[in-house]
Amino acid sequence: MALVEISNLEKSYRVGETDVPVLKGIDLEIDEGEFVALMGPSGCGKSTLMNILGCLDRPSRGRILLKGQDLGHLSDRDLARIRREEIGFVFQNFNLIGRISNLKNVELPMTLKETAKNLRRDRAMELLESVGLGHRLDYSPSNLSGGERQRVAIARALANDPSIILADEPTGNLDERSTSDIMDIMRELNGEGRTIVMVTHDIETTRCCNRVIWMRDGTIQEDAS
Amino acid sequence: MRPDDMLEYVLSSFRSDWRRAFMSSLGIIIGVISIVALLSVGQGLYGGVSEQFGDMDMDLISVRPGSEMVMGPGPGSRPVLSSAEPAEFDHKDVKIVENVLGVDAVYPLKTARALLSFRGDNSSVNIVGISPENHDDMKDSVARGRFLTGSDYKAAVVSSDVAENSFRMKISPGNQIRVYSADKSRYMDLKVVGVLEEDEDPSYASNDGIYVSHRAMKEFLDSENYYYDSIIVRARDSAEVEVVAEKVEKALSRTHRNEAYSVEAMTTIFESVLEVLNMIKYALAGIGSISLVVGAIGISNVMMLTVKERTHEIGVMKAIGATTWDVRALYLLDAGMLGLVSSLVGILLGTLVSNFVGSVAMLPMEVTAQSVALGLLFGVSITTVAGIYPANKAAVLDPIEALRGE
Repeated sequence: MALVEISNLEKSYRVGETDVPVLKGIDLEIDEGEFVALMGPSGCGKSTLMNILGCLDRPSRGRILLKGQDLGHLSDRDLARIRREEIGFVFQNFNLIGRISNLKNVELPMTLKETAKNLRRDRAMELLESVGLGHRLDYSPSNLSGGERQRVAIARALANDPSIILADEPTGNLDERSTSDIMDIMRELNGEGRTIVMVTHDIETTRCCNRVIWMRDGTIQEDAS
Repeated sequence: MRPDDMLEYVLSSFRSDWRRAFMSSLGIIIGVISIVALLSVGQGLYGGVSEQFGDMDMDLISVRPGSEMVMGPGPGSRPVLSSAEPAEFDHKDVKIVENVLGVDAVYPLKTARALLSFRGDNSSVNIVGISPENHDDMKDSVARGRFLTGSDYKAAVVSSDVAENSFRMKISPGNQIRVYSADKSRYMDLKVVGVLEEDEDPSYASNDGIYVSHRAMKEFLDSENYYYDSIIVRARDSAEVEVVAEKVEKALSRTHRNEAYSVEAMTTIFESVLEVLNMIKYALAGIGSISLVVGAIGISNVMMLTVKERTHEIGVMKAIGATTWDVRALYLLDAGMLGLVSSLVGILLGTLVSNFVGSVAMLPMEVTAQSVALGLLFGVSITTVAGIYPANKAAVLDPIEALRGE
């Protein structure tokens, strides 16, 4: 069984009196351990697909299963639980909370899951060390460079050991050096068997992916392994 | 999210944004200060007045001739004076009252304004006719000389205020004084036999009084019908004073049927004054609550701004798995904590303010557990209620929209 099974997925938004379709019947399967790049021009629907996959939005029609569970029919509470336990988000603009330390930022998903204090502290320290920021635990994210912030964000995404990592242009705001650092980490994670779906505009970053999906106008145009 | 983690998160937001916390709590602090201070001003008034009343003898009953207010005919009518003639009390009534069970002493009084002349100075005083043999209560409060006896005729005992402060020279026992009637048509020479101690006038008389026997008073007034202005009755047991008052009324009603008079225990008068003071106290607290409500509106506004400012953060929280309930509880806790801290600060400052007011106004100020509890309860509950709307607004934010917000 595939980790993610999407069939005939449609999403449209209501603008005034009319429905504007954004996703027009997507069929897609993602297996465990895959590193998928999602590419396409702006407005092609890749962010919408990521939002639905990340349980931040619901499909208008069709089916989406994560580990066999239909995401289209879950309550808000259950969707929040899946975001917390099954999904790790990495955003283009990092989305860290500036007024708490890096350690607390990484602990936050575990805090929401009500993990015991000492366990989550140990785990957060371990994760920050693994991304090379063991010496920046008590710093505020605002004192870090863009590349460092994104590493904190990756550590946070891994906190609850999710089934899938969704990265929305993770290197979009980074310089070349940091981009290469982040992609190294991504590759390592994939090497450990983690499933990653990454939206990107940078063809260079797709090198470490084992599958590239091209979208256009709400449909999948090409799916190349 | 566990409550202790929520608390830690909220405290971290206070630390990072203490100006916001301070500005939003200012209204509540002021509100709680007003509640605590105004309640204790009320309590101070209450205490001050009860202290004054405490000097009064609570075992006394006052019997006075005159009309009582009675309700007029028909519903909703205003009180009117009863049409009955005022009762006229004389020595026979004194005997009747003396025989009532539970009565310890009876002091019939007759008071008139008079002009007192002493060595060329004049001063207006109250001249009070008494039965000297009944007044065991005044015998021990003579500072100089002695008290009147049953055999004294044209003799007077002078209150301390009149003796010390009314004339250029102090009045001493053995001095001669002259009292003129209000219209100066009559006068009487009296010999001073005693001066009372300061503040030792009986509570039922004024402190600018001179005391003479009824015999002297009757001659001074030169009226055919000599009736008492009031009969003060002392009950044997102050706990029984109201029962004794009822018995006195019953005993007098036999000879004064259809006449107007009142029999009132001092405790009854005292209680009604305290009741009014209590009302004043809570009215003051009500005024305090208004400032608290204004403070709460302030908190609500600042929290709405906070939610707007933190829209992005709320989006992040939701994206990484916070439920609607987590977000709502966080912001309610934020408001509740602001309320708690501001209330505690308000109580502290309110105590200082009321102590200051107390020392300036010379009132026995007291911050009671009740006013502290009220301040705390109102402070915390009103801020939490004020936080409900902003917290709900934060909780129902769409995470995608919120993440877009900066």
